Amino acid sequence: MRKILIVGAGQAGLQLAHGLLLAGGYEVTVMSQRPASEIRHGRVTSTQCMFGAALEMERRALGVDLWSAAGSGHRIDGLGVSVPGPDAAPAINWLGQLSQYAQSVDQRLKMAAWLELFAERGGTVVINAATVSDLDHLAALYDLVIVAAGKGDIVELFDRDAERSPYSAPQRSLAVAYVHAVRPREEHPDTSAVRFNLIPTVGELIVIPALTTSGTCDILFWEGIPGGPIDTFDQVADDPAAHLAHTLELIRRFAPWEYERCAEAELTDPGATLAGRYAPVVRHPIAALPSGRLALGIADVVVANDPITGQGSNNASRAADTYLAAILAHGDRPYDQAFMQATFDSYWARVAVCTAWTNAMLAPPPPHVLDILGAAGQHQDVADRFANGFSAPDDFADWLLDPIKASTYLAAVTAR
Amino acid sequence: MTRTYALHAPRRPSRVRPYGITRGRTAADRFLGVERLISTVEFDPQRVLGMLPETAAVYEACRYPRTIAELATGLALPLGVIRVLVGDLAAVGRVRIHPPAADIPDRHLLERVLRGLDNL
Amino acid sequence: MASTISDASLALSAKIVIAGAFGVGKTTFVAAISEIPVASTEALMPVAAAPADDVSFARGKTTTTVAMDFGRIAVDDGLTLYLFGTPGQDRFWFLWDDLARGALAAIVLVDTRNLAASWPAIAYFERRGDIPFTVVVNLFDGQLTHELAEVRDALDLSPGIPLTTADARDRRDVREALRALIRHALNLLPSH
Ligand SMILES: Cc1cc2nc3c(=O)[nH]c(=O)nc-3n(C[C@H](O)[C@H](O)[C@H](O)COP(=O)(O)OP(=O)(O)OC[C@H]3O[C@@H](n4cnc5c(N)ncnc54)[C@H](O)[C@@H]3O)c2cc1C
Ligand SMILES: Nc1nc2c(ncn2[C@@H]2O[C@H](COP(=O)(O)OP(=O)(O)O)[C@@H](O)[C@H]2O)c(=O)[nH]1
Ligand SMILES: [Mg+2]
Repeated sequence: MRKILIVGAGQAGLQLAHGLLLAGGYEVTVMSQRPASEIRHGRVTSTQCMFGAALEMERRALGVDLWSAAGSGHRIDGLGVSVPGPDAAPAINWLGQLSQYAQSVDQRLKMAAWLELFAERGGTVVINAATVSDLDHLAALYDLVIVAAGKGDIVELFDRDAERSPYSAPQRSLAVAYVHAVRPREEHPDTSAVRFNLIPTVGELIVIPALTTSGTCDILFWEGIPGGPIDTFDQVADDPAAHLAHTLELIRRFAPWEYERCAEAELTDPGATLAGRYAPVVRHPIAALPSGRLALGIADVVVANDPITGQGSNNASRAADTYLAAILAHGDRPYDQAFMQATFDSYWARVAVCTAWTNAMLAPPPPHVLDILGAAGQHQDVADRFANGFSAPDDFADWLLDPIKASTYLAAVTAR
Repeated sequence: MTRTYALHAPRRPSRVRPYGITRGRTAADRFLGVERLISTVEFDPQRVLGMLPETAAVYEACRYPRTIAELATGLALPLGVIRVLVGDLAAVGRVRIHPPAADIPDRHLLERVLRGLDNL
Repeated sequence: MASTISDASLALSAKIVIAGAFGVGKTTFVAAISEIPVASTEALMPVAAAPADDVSFARGKTTTTVAMDFGRIAVDDGLTLYLFGTPGQDRFWFLWDDLARGALAAIVLVDTRNLAASWPAIAYFERRGDIPFTVVVNLFDGQLTHELAEVRDALDLSPGIPLTTADARDRRDVREALRALIRHALNLLPSH
């Protein structure tokens, strides 16, 4: 039996751990810095909206769907965009249909359950906040050490890849509130949808239907341009009620068309708010430990994009899927530096487009993107293609990210 | 005076659970705190032969109850490594993980500690 | 067979966390009352930007050593109390969580010459809300330079948190600080 240590019990670490366990032939240990019950009763960590393809990968790895749409009553069938106009009504306002449903299952719920299930299935769980010293010694006791620690301090072990990291500072301030009692958008009361509200020079308000410990809910997620009016949640950092009030006040001011349905919002629980910021970064995937032994990074540890495009958890699922396949294909051979680099390279080949797309979304939209957002209001095909790109972002390389291809496509659609 | 925190964690609005040890309900909750005592179950020198050196060192050291922290300093190994080794040994019944003292009701435990301090 | 312990006589342990900024007297406080020499678990953590006193390893990675001191007191035949000092760096909060989880109570030591350095530790326990704690001013030069009320004000300490003084080198002072802490914890228990 080959021994594999996974440090970090998040989307990537646990999905990979379950995949290896189900595949058989591996002794898998997950090191989690918090016990399952603490994860479940702690503070929210993300908005974690995952689209069809990534959900399929996680179900395959887990061999079970713990929150099936039928069982949980939670599914997201659309993705819409609004952009303000000269008066209170949005100038751009449309809904794309997702061909497979998306879901946002609160990571507190999901990771706690996945960690418990992993232990029940015979995996080894060790509750420990890993240090460099731990990893250095453990690398001698395991055949492979994978660091899946998200944005934890330990990830500084992995060097920043300056060439692939255009930003060195946070591009948005982030403020999240999980709430009950938000009504559906009146344009589509029967379609549960993620709504992107793009407010030029200010930031973005993203409203995401989700499933949390107290049932279905909505997440009000502000992304604020640094120094702007949204980047003000530090003032309410210690006070969830004030955080929610501030969130709603900013909605009233900058996305008034969303205000009414949110006006009665109540926090789902005492841990329902989160505020912070981080710089998007791509890192080198291999860390050399003091003894010279190696550890391999995965998901956010190596590629952490801004959450503006909601791809981090989706990428974590893609990463777990890629790494699982690579480990299984590698058989009995040693997990050496070449294996590690090749595994990361095949992941990067899959998600480089997400980084490009996400970094592009952080900048003011170029004319061809504005054309696309406008055209999506006239042509349902464009809206649907945009929405489904969140599940398969490769497609964006063929239009959204390329002005020439974009105008060719738009011309073809308009001619129809 | 205003304070700003790197973590932005909101303050708990009310005491939601009594203080004390978070008691593990499943293996995914089992936390070996630095103060937890470990002791070897029926030490048998023969068993040491098949063990990794680090594992054997823990097995031998715990002939007398030792905390996770004492094992780490005594064997010059990081805490996480001790937790892994103790977990492995406990899984096959070679060591016993002592229950946390807070299994005794809190008031009883606190009064017991207070008496101990009075007698120092 | 060497020693075998029967379940009925399993020795028990509990811990108290001694928190506070670097140099505030945590190790001194623990050493004053511990019946063993203060021991320390050490571990390396990576740091992004390099402070002056750091050591380096392969590929120029910079690390810092995080150390947790501990000492112990035998409460009675079956129970040992461990005192753990937090690491000097108060940015590795996940290590504080590791240390604090399951603690009976905590003391935050402060130095009146640098009160601001104690804010993060106080905020940490306030925010957790599940561990009773007191704040103790370490009397470095043997006497208090500010009124306790002033200190409380400057620390923005809520009225429910006891604030006292101690000389961290003095065993009786340390013992009294611990007794006051336990009494505070008892007061916080729901009455029946
Ligand atoms: C505000 C916000 C909104 C987001 N919204 C979305 C979205 O809508 N859709 C989407 O796809 N993505 C979203 N993301 C991104 C997504 O949450 C992450 O990309 C994803 O969780 C990464 O998964 P991971 O497994 O790499 O890391 P994580 O999920 O962060 O898991 C890492 C785990 O490792 C643990 N850990 C850290 N250090 C240590 C250590 N030293 N020892 C042991 N354990 C350790 C952590 O506690 C954590 O449990 C969002 C992120 C944020 C911040
Ligand atoms: N004069 C005096 N010195 C003290 C006192 N407490 C600590 N010190 C000294 O202050 C320095 C830092 O103390 P230490 O316990 O190592 O602080 P720590 O970093 O919090 O563990 C040491 O040189 C101690 O000897 C005190 O009460 N009075
Ligand atoms: Mg010290």
